[in-house]
Amino acid sequence: MSAFWSGWIMFLIVLNLSITLFLFVWGQFVKIPVQPDGTSGHVWAHGVLREGVRRLPLWWVILSASAFAVAIGYLVLYPGFGAYQGTIGWSAHSQLAADKAANDAKLDPVLKALDGRSIEQLAAAPEATRMGQRLFVDNCAACHGIDGRGGHAVGAPDLTDADWLWGGTPETIVKTILDGRTGTMPPFGASMSAQNIEGLANYVLSLSDSPHSPALAAEGKPQFGVCSACHGPEGKGNPALGAPNLTFAKRLYGGDLATIEQTIKEGRTGTMPAWRQRLSEREVRLITAWIYAQSHASAETAAR
Amino acid sequence: MAGGYKYFEAIEKHAGLLGILTAIMVSIGGLAEITPLFMRAHEVKAAEGVKPYDALRLAGRDIYVREGCYLCHTQMIRALRAETQRYGHYSTAEESVYDRPHQWGSKRTGPDLARVGGKYSDEWQMVHLRNPRAVAPESNMPDYPWLSQAWVDPDEIAQKMKVLRMLGDPYTDDDIAKAPAAVKGHTEMEALVAYLQGLGIANEPTNPAAQKPAEDGSP
Repeated sequence: MSAFWSGWIMFLIVLNLSITLFLFVWGQFVKIPVQPDGTSGHVWAHGVLREGVRRLPLWWVILSASAFAVAIGYLVLYPGFGAYQGTIGWSAHSQLAADKAANDAKLDPVLKALDGRSIEQLAAAPEATRMGQRLFVDNCAACHGIDGRGGHAVGAPDLTDADWLWGGTPETIVKTILDGRTGTMPPFGASMSAQNIEGLANYVLSLSDSPHSPALAAEGKPQFGVCSACHGPEGKGNPALGAPNLTFAKRLYGGDLATIEQTIKEGRTGTMPAWRQRLSEREVRLITAWIYAQSHASAETAAR
Repeated sequence: MAGGYKYFEAIEKHAGLLGILTAIMVSIGGLAEITPLFMRAHEVKAAEGVKPYDALRLAGRDIYVREGCYLCHTQMIRALRAETQRYGHYSTAEESVYDRPHQWGSKRTGPDLARVGGKYSDEWQMVHLRNPRAVAPESNMPDYPWLSQAWVDPDEIAQKMKVLRMLGDPYTDDDIAKAPAAVKGHTEMEALVAYLQGLGIANEPTNPAAQKPAEDGSP
């Protein structure tokens, strides 16, 4: 702050406090001319209303005096009087740093105790998965849903099942979260007839034993050659490319015929954003632990 | 002190004088708090990494303003732990020098968007703008389906950039000449998403390296 503007602010503060303080003190002692009837002589409504003359009430005097005391005390302690920084050296940013340090002091021991454990061990520790779930809901649920079951709207995969687009090992999941993923399926609408697409879509449905027309699927099977480059000859997918396993009945964008036809025709681009800039590696490991616990819990349930 | 009453009486009995003196006293707060910042606003320089909006993002920004997004979304992360932990580094004046007018807002029905860029995929943003409930079931944000059907006007954008240049944004003649082609054929949805994806993360003081989202603005 330049000296001029600092002086400007100081001048206005002094001016304001001087005027108001003067009125406050003066008001206690000023002699108001009093008429014999105890009023000031001001009348309204043809004398019906008259203005009495009384001392200022004590509660009001005390309240006003304390307001001055608080104002002056504030200007001494805190920044406010021009460029003067106040005696306690407070600033919004130092307050933030102190709040953060206080929070870290509580959080760090909890996190340190979890350091060095594998994701599998974290997944079995409720104190880790609780934090992981909280972080998941805050950051991941917008696409994957609050329970991690994914969503067709953006083709977000179900994270609670055994099927993994890019691989389901703990370290792969950590990498997926930190660096993000982009899976692209090219459009085939220009190179395939509507009839071929319908057949191919039925064939894709047949891979997962979903309801389909066997006749159309048989017709569509030869078209699958081009798909096998990414999805594999048996349609089991390829985690290196993020190509989905087509033998799984659960589909990213929905498992009905029309959706699959649309996918073949128009292609898809699924993007998982990178979180390295937003989440610490510790936080990502906690999220991974929760995800890992979900997928393995449901795998166990399925096995039973 | 006793004699001073006649001055008090004079003020009390002349409403015009009373009004003027009241206005002076009331304006002192504003003169002290607002004037210095207002007069020194031009001294705020862009932070490193903060550049004027490219054509498509600029068009998107105007759609953001037109649709009144600022009525529910702030772009102002305050220096409070709960906010920096959720949204990232607190906002600084240096980040908003090319925002005319700034979109800080004061109402947070929805979350703060100051650093939303790159948090979600372009597709998520589009699905969410068309129908927020498709991805966030509890959302009470309105649908903006018409954005997908409306086209950005290429004739307007160069004029806007010229006006901003008059106000001090460092657009070059080349930037302005290329602007209509850069927005031509883009929907308002694409422009708005390009704007959103450019918000904040590139400017975040602690993250100078992060500049990922859609550089060319295309989704």
